[in-house]
Formats: sequence, C-alpha cells, structure tokens
Amino acid sequence: MMGAGDIKQFQWRWQQSKYVEAVLYAVGFGGFVYLLTNQVLYGIIVLLVTVAVAVLILRPWRITVDNAVGYIDAHLPEAGYSSGLLLLASGELSNLSKLQQYRVSEQLEPILPKLRPPHKLFRAALVMFAMVLVGIAGRWALQGMGDSAELDKSNKESISFEPKDSLLNTAAIPTLTRTMITIQYPGYTGQGTLRTTDPNLRAVQGSTIIWDLEFDGGVQDVKMDLMGEPIAFTNSGQGHRLKMDLGASGFYSFVFTDREGHEHVSDLYSLEMVTDEPPLVQIEGLDNYSYFEFDQDKRMVFNTDISDDFGIADAYIIATVSKGSGESVKFREEKVAFDASIGKGSRILQLKQALDLDELKMDPGDELYFYVEALDQRTPSANVARSETFFAVIRDTITDPFAVEGNLGVDLMPDYFRSQRQLIIDTEKLLAERPDITDKEFNSRSNELGFDQKQLRLKYGQFMGDETELQAAPGQVSSNQEGNDGHSGEDAEEDLLDGYSHKHDSDNEHNLVEEHDHGNEDQEEEEDPLHDYLHNHSDPEESTLFEKSLKAKLRDALNIMWEAELYLRLFEPEKSLPYQYQALDIIQEIKNSARIYVHRIGFDPPPIKEENRLSGDIEKITNYSKNETYAYQGSFASARKVVSRLEILIDGNSSFSNADQNLIRDAGNELAQRAVLEPLKYLKVLQGLRDLEKSVNRTTEKFTAVRKDLLSVLPSIKSNPMKNAGQKNEMDLLFLKELGVYEQ
Amino acid sequence: MNNSVVFLNQQWLWPVMLVGVLLWAVFVWKESSQRYRPRFWFKTVVAFLGMASLVMLVLKPSTWRESTLGKGIILTEGYRPSQLDSLRAMYKRIPLETYAKGKPLSILNGADSLFLLGHGLEDFDLWQLDEKAVAFMGGEEVSGWTAISTGNETMLGETLEVRAKYSGPEQGHWAVLADNGGNPLDSVPFEQIKEQEIILKAEPKASGRFVYHLLERDQEGTLSDEPIPVEIVEGKPLKVLMINTFPTFEAKYLKNFLTERGHEVLARTQLTKGKYKFEFYNGASNPIYGFTNENLASYDLLIIDVDSYIGLGDSSKNALEQAIKSNGLGVFIQPDEGLFQVSRDHLPFKFKRDVASEFGTGETGRNLHKYPFQFQSSVRKQDIGLDSLVVAAYVPMEKGKVGTTLLQNTYQLVLDGEQDLYARIWTQILKNTVSSWEGALQWKRITRYPRKDEPFDLEIRTSYEDMTLTTETGVSIPLLQDALIAQKWTARHYPRKTGWNQLQFALDSLVPVSFFVHADEALTSIDNYQTLKANRYRFGSENDFGVSVSAPKEELLPISPIWFYAVLLLSLGWLWLEPKLIS
Repeated sequence: MMGAGDIKQFQWRWQQSKYVEAVLYAVGFGGFVYLLTNQVLYGIIVLLVTVAVAVLILRPWRITVDNAVGYIDAHLPEAGYSSGLLLLASGELSNLSKLQQYRVSEQLEPILPKLRPPHKLFRAALVMFAMVLVGIAGRWALQGMGDSAELDKSNKESISFEPKDSLLNTAAIPTLTRTMITIQYPGYTGQGTLRTTDPNLRAVQGSTIIWDLEFDGGVQDVKMDLMGEPIAFTNSGQGHRLKMDLGASGFYSFVFTDREGHEHVSDLYSLEMVTDEPPLVQIEGLDNYSYFEFDQDKRMVFNTDISDDFGIADAYIIATVSKGSGESVKFREEKVAFDASIGKGSRILQLKQALDLDELKMDPGDELYFYVEALDQRTPSANVARSETFFAVIRDTITDPFAVEGNLGVDLMPDYFRSQRQLIIDTEKLLAERPDITDKEFNSRSNELGFDQKQLRLKYGQFMGDETELQAAPGQVSSNQEGNDGHSGEDAEEDLLDGYSHKHDSDNEHNLVEEHDHGNEDQEEEEDPLHDYLHNHSDPEESTLFEKSLKAKLRDALNIMWEAELYLRLFEPEKSLPYQYQALDIIQEIKNSARIYVHRIGFDPPPIKEENRLSGDIEKITNYSKNETYAYQGSFASARKVVSRLEILIDGNSSFSNADQNLIRDAGNELAQRAVLEPLKYLKVLQGLRDLEKSVNRTTEKFTAVRKDLLSVLPSIKSNPMKNAGQKNEMDLLFLKELGVYEQ
Repeated sequence: MNNSVVFLNQQWLWPVMLVGVLLWAVFVWKESSQRYRPRFWFKTVVAFLGMASLVMLVLKPSTWRESTLGKGIILTEGYRPSQLDSLRAMYKRIPLETYAKGKPLSILNGADSLFLLGHGLEDFDLWQLDEKAVAFMGGEEVSGWTAISTGNETMLGETLEVRAKYSGPEQGHWAVLADNGGNPLDSVPFEQIKEQEIILKAEPKASGRFVYHLLERDQEGTLSDEPIPVEIVEGKPLKVLMINTFPTFEAKYLKNFLTERGHEVLARTQLTKGKYKFEFYNGASNPIYGFTNENLASYDLLIIDVDSYIGLGDSSKNALEQAIKSNGLGVFIQPDEGLFQVSRDHLPFKFKRDVASEFGTGETGRNLHKYPFQFQSSVRKQDIGLDSLVVAAYVPMEKGKVGTTLLQNTYQLVLDGEQDLYARIWTQILKNTVSSWEGALQWKRITRYPRKDEPFDLEIRTSYEDMTLTTETGVSIPLLQDALIAQKWTARHYPRKTGWNQLQFALDSLVPVSFFVHADEALTSIDNYQTLKANRYRFGSENDFGVSVSAPKEELLPISPIWFYAVLLLSLGWLWLEPKLIS
C-alpha cells in the first residue's frame, strides 16, 4: 500500500534531476574555463556562478506535490487521474474515493518508482561534454602557440641548469625555484628599479645588479662565471644573492654545486653595459661668424637644443672676449647663464638666448668666441659636451690699424720687392703682352720693372756694404722696410724711419739666407736693437765669412743687375732678360754655396786604425751573459686544440673526458676576450662551447656545429719557422753528395 | 703425356669403380641361372659395357688438346652501348659477361680473345687477363674530378695546397675548398675547356687529422662533394745559434723575432777579442766559443754573419762542415756588403751584379731593400721565394743546407709596423734553410686512393730491421724488404673500414701510419679515370688483339659424354629387349 510518501519521493526525484542538470551545466562551464586558463580558482568560481544561475533558471523548488500529481496523472493511465487521492488521508475520503485510492495505490505501487520525472539531463550532459571538449581543444591550441614562446622562455626568460656530468641524471637535482634579478639604475638616471627574470641583461654603466636565486634542494654554493672569473654568491638563508656593479659588458653563466659535490651549469647569458652618452648640444639660428658694425644693434639671438639620454644637469655659455691684436691681445672669459632656467633632469631642452655684445663690454675691434657647454647627471663625473664655437666680431672703425709708432723700434712690414725670378716672369709677361698694349703702358711697365730691379740690386748691395747706393736712393722703400697689407712705401714717416732701421749695412750672411727664405727677421732685430747701428767689423763671424769668390760673385750679380735695369729703363726688356737670367743663376749659386759652407763646419774625426782598435787593454772586459725565457703560446692555442679534439669526438673514437671539459673552458675564456670587442661574431661559438659543458648537449650534431663556428672565427696562424718531419733516404743523400762533388 | 687420358674427377675413381664392379657382380649373380647358355656370356659383356660407360660418365675422362676457344666480351663500367651493339652484330652469339670488382670472370674459361668495353678492370683484377688476347675498346670519357692531390701532411702555419684536375668543367660552376667544418676557404671558377687544372690554397687553423671537402657548386647549391683527407702536424721549435762579430739591428730584430716565437736561441756577439756577450733564450745553455762536432750537434740552425763565417778557424770550419753534412745543420749567412766579395772557395754561392736595389712586393705595395746583386744559377742552388720573388737561396750539402738572402734592412718593416710581412719573409727563409727533422721512419702511400676491402700498398723507409706492422685490431701485416735498398719495405693491407685507419708498429717510438680510406661513393670519377689509365697502359689504346696470344695453347678438355650415353643406352636397350625376343 503506497501513500503520500511515494508521491513526495517522486517530487523529490524530480527536483533532484533539476539540480543535477544545473550541476552538469556548471561543471561544463567551469571545466571549460579551467582548461582554458589552467587556473583552478577561476574554474571553481565559474562553476559556482553557473550553478547559481542554472538553479535560478531551473528553479527546482518550484516543483510542488501538485506538479508531481499532475505529471503522474498525465503520464500513468493506471493512476486514473486519481493519484491526488493518495495524498489525502483515507479517513477524509468517501468510500468510493477510498476504493479508488486503494485501487490507484495498488496499481501505482509497482510502476511509480519506475516513472521518470521530466528532465533534460541528457542535454545537460551533452553540453557539459561539449564544453569540456572545446576547453581541451582550446587549451591544446593555446599550448601550440605558447610552445614557441615557451621555448624562447626557456632560453631567455628563465635560468635552467644542467648537470655537468652525465652520470648523475638519476640523482635528485636541486631545482631553481625562484629567480629574481634586480637592476638598480644609478640614481641620477631617474629610472626605477627593474625586476626581471630574464638573465640576459642590459643596463646603464654604474647600475647595481642583484641576482637572487632560490633552490629547493640542498645547494652547497652558487657561483657566477663571468668571463672565466668565478664570483661567489652569498647565502642569505633563504636564497643566494649576488650584488655587482656593472662595469663592463660580458657574458656570464651560473654554476652551483649540490650537496654531493656535483656541478651544474646554466646557459650563457649576456650582460650588456650601455654607456651614458654625453649630452648633444646644437646651436641653431646663427652663422659661425657674425660681424657687427659698431653702430648696429649688437644682439645675437640663437636657439640651443640640448638633449641627453638620462637628463641634463646644467648648461651655460662660455664666452671669450679678445681685445686688441698681436702682442697686446687680452682674453677675458665669462660664463653666461641662460635666461631660462634649466630644468634639472629634463632630457630635451630648447633654450632661446640672446647675447648682447654691449653687455659683454665689447668695443669695436673686439672679438667674441662662445660655445654652449652642457653637463649631464652622471656620477661621479658628469659627461660634458660642448657645441661648436661661434664667432662674433665688431668691426673696427679704423680702416688702417697699423701705425708705426715712435716707440716701436722696428717696423713689422713684410718685404716688398720682387725677387729676381719674379722679375723674369713679369718681364716675360710684359713681352708677351706687348702687341696688346699701348706703347705708353709698355714703357711705363718696363720702367716699373726697372725700378724693381734696382730695388733688388740695392738689397743685395747691402750685403756688400754698398752704403752709398742705399743713400743714393732716398725716398725709396728700403729693403728691410716691411709694409703691411699693401700699405708700404706711402708714408713720409717711413722715410724718416729709413735712416734708423737700415742705414747701416749688415754683413750678416745669416741674414742673407734668412731673408731670402723667410723674409722674417723681426725677432732677431728686436733682440739686438743696437745691431743696426753698429759696424761690427770686429766680429769674425760676421765680417769675414764670405769667401773672396763669393763676394766677387755677388759683385758680378750686382753688375749684371745694373745692366738688366739699364735695358728695362730703356724700354728694351727683351735685351734685359738675358742679364736677368744670369743674375738669377749667380744668386742661386751664392745661396747654394752658403749652404755648403754651413755643411762644412761639421767635425771630421781622424780615421781609426783597425789594427789598433782591438789591441787595447781588455783585461777588465769580461764575458756577459743574459738568460731569458719567453713563454710562447700561439694565438687561440686551446681553441685550436678543441677543433682537433672535436674531430676525434665526432668520429666517435673517443668519449668526452674531464680534460676536454677543461680544454673547452680554456678555449671559451680565450674567445671571450675577443668576444667583448665583437660580441656578434663570437656569441654563437661561445654559446656552443658553453653548451658542451653540459652533458646532455654532447651530441655529434652539437660537436659539428661548434666545430664549424670555431673554424669560422679562428684567425690564421702567425708565421713561424718550424722544423717539419721530412724524408731523406740514402739514395737522396748519395745523389746530393755526388752533386756536391760534381760542383767542385 | 700429352695423349694420355686424365680423369677430371680423379678423386672419385676408386669408389665409382667399386660401385660399378659391385653393380656388375649383382647383375652377373642375378643372371647366373642362365650361366650355361651362351646368351649369359653375351649379356655379361653388354652389362659390363653399360656399367663401364656409366662409370665414365661420372669420372669424365679427358685429354690434352689444343684449345680452340672463341671470343668474348667483358663489359665494365662506362661502356658505350653502341659499341656493344656493333660488336654483337659482327659476332653472333658472342658470350658476354659483366665485370664485378673482385670477382673472377667465368667467361675466361670459354674465350681467349676478349673485347674489353668500358673503363676496364680494376688494377688488382688485371691478373685475370694474363695470357689472354684483349682488345681494349675504351669507354665513355670520364667527366668530373680526375685527380686530387695534397701532400702527405701539412705543417700547421703553412699553406695547404690542393691540386686537382677536372675533366669537362662547365662554365658557371665553381670548385670550392671547404674545411672540415664546411666553411669555404678558397674557390676557383670553372672555365669552358676540356680539362682544367685547379690549385686551391688554405691555411689550416688547427692540427690534427681532418677531412676537408672539395665541392663543385653552381648557383643553386652543391653538386658534388669529395673528401680530401689532410693531416696537419705541428712543427718543432728550432734550436738556433746566432754568431755575430758586432751587433746590428738586423741581427737584433731577427733574434727578437725568433725568441718571441718560442725558439731556443743562443746569441753570441763579440765584445772584444776573446770576450763575448752570450744571450740564452728559452732554455738555451752552454756558451759556445769554437765549433766542435759536439756543441753543434744539438742545433738546427746557425745564423752567422759574414765576418764570423770567414774568420772561422780550421777546426771550427771542419766541425761546421761536418755538422752540416752529417747532422743536417742549416746555416744561414747574414749578408752584408762583404758577402759579395767573398771568394768562391768560402761560399757555395755565386753572385752577379744587379741594377735593382729594391724588390716590389705585390700585395702591400711595399718595397724591400736588397743588395744590388743576384744569385747566379748553379746546379745545386735552390731558390727561396716570397710570392714568386727570389729573396733568398740555399744550397743543400748532403743532409744540411747553407742559405743566404739578398734582402737588407728588413728590420725597417718592424719599425714601420709591418710585423706580419717581416714574419712572413723570415719564416719563409729560415724554414727553407733548416733541414727537415728526420723521424726514425718514413712512409708513403703507393695506392693513392685507398678503399675498403681493396689492397692498399704502402712503402716504408726505415733503418730498423725487425719491426712488425699491425692493424688496429691487432692483425699483423707482413713487410717485404726491398732486395736492393735494405731500408725500403713494402706492405699490403686490406682496410676493413672507411675513414681514418691506423697501422701501428710494435715499437712505441715509431709514429703510427694513418691513412684515409674512401667510401665507395666518393671519388668515383677519379677511380674511373685511374682504371681507364691503368687499362690503357696495360692493353694499349689500339682496339685489336695483340699478336702475343696467337701461339697455340693446350688445354685439358673432357671427352664428350654423348658417346658414353650412347653405349649405355644401347646396352640397356639390348638387355631389355633380349628376354622379349627369346620369349
């Protein structure tokens, strides 16, 4: 006999199926999210949310007893639409009802537990599986994509260790659980601390780098191998730490020793140092040279662009004012600040600045040189950069700056007279132009040449002591009168000076040479102001050094010059030319003989007799002996050995030994020294060599690759004569012997 | 003897006879019931005949007869099919056999006049054609590498030179020499000619045994890759004695160069009469005053200036001469102006005046100062060249050498920062002046391209009398001493593996012989070319049979078994038919 309990049970079953449905959906979504994200937490959250949502939608609690009764009535004909009667107590029912209740209960008893409440469990399960499958597919796809990234990661972003010895793969290897690399940039850069796990580092010079490594197994000690130099980590209880200031670029790897004393090495990583560049200073809006008239507005406006990679500390203008000229020049240096304030630490500055020359107290004729200097914030010493130098000149109001002043004993005018060679050239030019010019002009130019010839003659005459001739040409520019920029010989004042400067002759042969070669004897003359006023015949150096022939030659030259001048004056330059040539020849000879003369004053030692040379007392002379040893090591000796060793390993005739390990390390160190200069060329081979230190990498393919790279970077052997093994057999020797006999 | 009968299966004679007699006895016993009738005797005789012919069928009696064999064709690799076709058209049903390396040719039993088509038989199989008339028809032209040669071994720091010949090169292709790692070292473009000679040079970077590669390349890639085994050995540093009467820059810089390169140098400079300055570098010891056989014995090279050389006393001079001739001392005379006036008796060189006082070196555009003299050519004089310039020369004197140079003031190069050129010049000069170091044993390959399971002949020269040569697996190889030259030995070895092989001597002090065995697929064109050459050499290039084989030859030929079959059949037939006739 069944009753209300069974109906209730049916209702409960109905509700239950709804809940299960909700859970199925939830598991589907939750699983999907979990699989995609690989995070359990997200999965659970999504699961719970989906359960809540699904339950809210499905509302299992809304299934009442009436619903159950209705469903039973509709689906079981046996219930005869009377299953509701079962809910009622039999006492409340009429007899007919009781009968019906009894009949229904009898009928339903075997079939009601078999009746399934309406459900969509199948659909829910399908959805769940679909979601999970999609999740798995998605995860797989993501992994596929991630793999390449992952590979990169293993190489770049995390440190992986391999045991050096292949035999201990079975032992528990301590693993690296945490890597943290902290780069503390120098304070002035204004860059924060950078934390990374990527062991390939790039940092500014002076940065502090801290490596924190934690291992989960027992690790005895951890070292960094920086270009062959081991640096130990300190054990801070939790992990291992190394702090280092970055001073140079290089390569490094980590080595740790586990409890059993086995070494494990990591890959090779790069440590790149970036130097702090000095600031870049550019001035715009200004020519290199600026000229101002004294009554002009003497302001210069220019733009300065300053840029630096880590910020500018200061910038200013260095202005140098030069006053006066020649001996009396005076310099004054001023440091001019920019009008705009310099923002300390800014990377780019654009400064507009006006320089007023009046403010710099410049007068006409003064010159200003200025440049902009900028400093960056680098510590301890800042990088300093400066711009190009710019010039500004206030033009002088005086057109002729030179004036021979009374107090200046010697004028500073350069020679103004034509040399014999010039005269010849001019004469020939005149002859060539004769058809094109008027007679008058021809005559006039010929006359001028004659005048020049005379001047030259007078000049040479000085050396002969031809005082009279000098005196005989008053009003003419004297030989040593030096004009400045074409202003010679025009002032009456200079004529007055004439008497003072070179009234007296000078037999100084030195002067002869010097004046021809340089025309610049001011200094000497200044040193000895009396010199010009003295007839220093007593000085043998001065008076008697000319040989007789030399004097005669000069006299000849002067005579010939006379002739040359004569014809020029007669407007017959063509007749004058041969004389001029003769004069030139003689002058050249005189010059040369003067040179020979200087040469001759050298000391000629008397010849030593050979037989006497070694016959002296040599008792005190003893044998001398010296002992030295040079350790000659060919370039890249270890690397070359590695090549031949690899060849044997590739052939498979031998296995990797401890000695190979050391050899490879030596080779790595040799190459690392070069690698600093050319990292690109060497990094691959260095990496290859480092890989060979790990047992897993000792494969033929790897050996072959390293061999190829090594051979491509190794330089040729330096020339060195060596003895080689040869073959010489008796027949050859007999032949050579006979050959020797034949030759004699 | 010639007419006698010989059984080919002589070894079975007695068992077969026995079985025959037994069979006959059984037959006689079976027929014994008729023994009183005449047909019994007749039958017995017939049965004997049958039995005897059966025995003869097995024993194969044969007689000596003049051979009358026909012609045959041997096909080897690279034959021309058209040639074969025309031969076949000419001689119907001519037997033919394709040659396989190392296998005996069976066609030789049936033919004694052979047409040899193709590149020919391998050198070591040629014996098979002894006493045969062979018309060598040749084959297709070999195209590809026809010769590749390198020295036995190259010293580290010297240039490795690979000389090769290529037959039928194609324009646009390149010959590339690559090192063992595959890095290209040198290349030569092919020209459109019949055969091109190619010289490729490289400077090996490490010592050891390597396999370089000679590649043929075009724009797309590598067409062929032939292995070039090279053995790079490290040289020994020198022991040098430098004798100077007075210090010169030239001597000083040369001394610095040698000492910095790790050579053992003893430099002696005269200070005054009987007093010297001795400089010992890198382990040199014991000052030397006068030369004796003993104190010169350990030196490889004597660098001596002209004055010291001329001023040598008689005993020193004799000792020096002895050291050169028997110990192989190298003497380098540092030249000065005086050298060219030294009389002929003192010096093995003759000079003649030369107007030029400079050499122009090609690459650097740098001129080298020289004395205004030239070497006069003589029989013994050997030039020492620097990029085809004769900068120095030496004269071999039995084991040793005497050399000198025309260059002067080479130290200027160092001062001008051209250390490399300086090093190159002096390395070239001194290397050639020093005699090679003589090992206790020298060897050379007779077989140029050894291959697996093919004979590899080598020649050994040594003064050791009792030595044994063993392979890596410990098998000893017999050595054959030359009858005339006691120091010369030959050996033959069949390598078991490709790649580098080694043969050891029982004496530890002797360096093992190592050689490279080529794989079958390597150097095929060279192999073909060599075979062709060997066959041409052997058979001549004329394609008819020589006269040598026309002489008759006698051969053992079996009596045709058909006769025995006939007798057997007749006797068996009679024995079967006879009872039926009677009944």
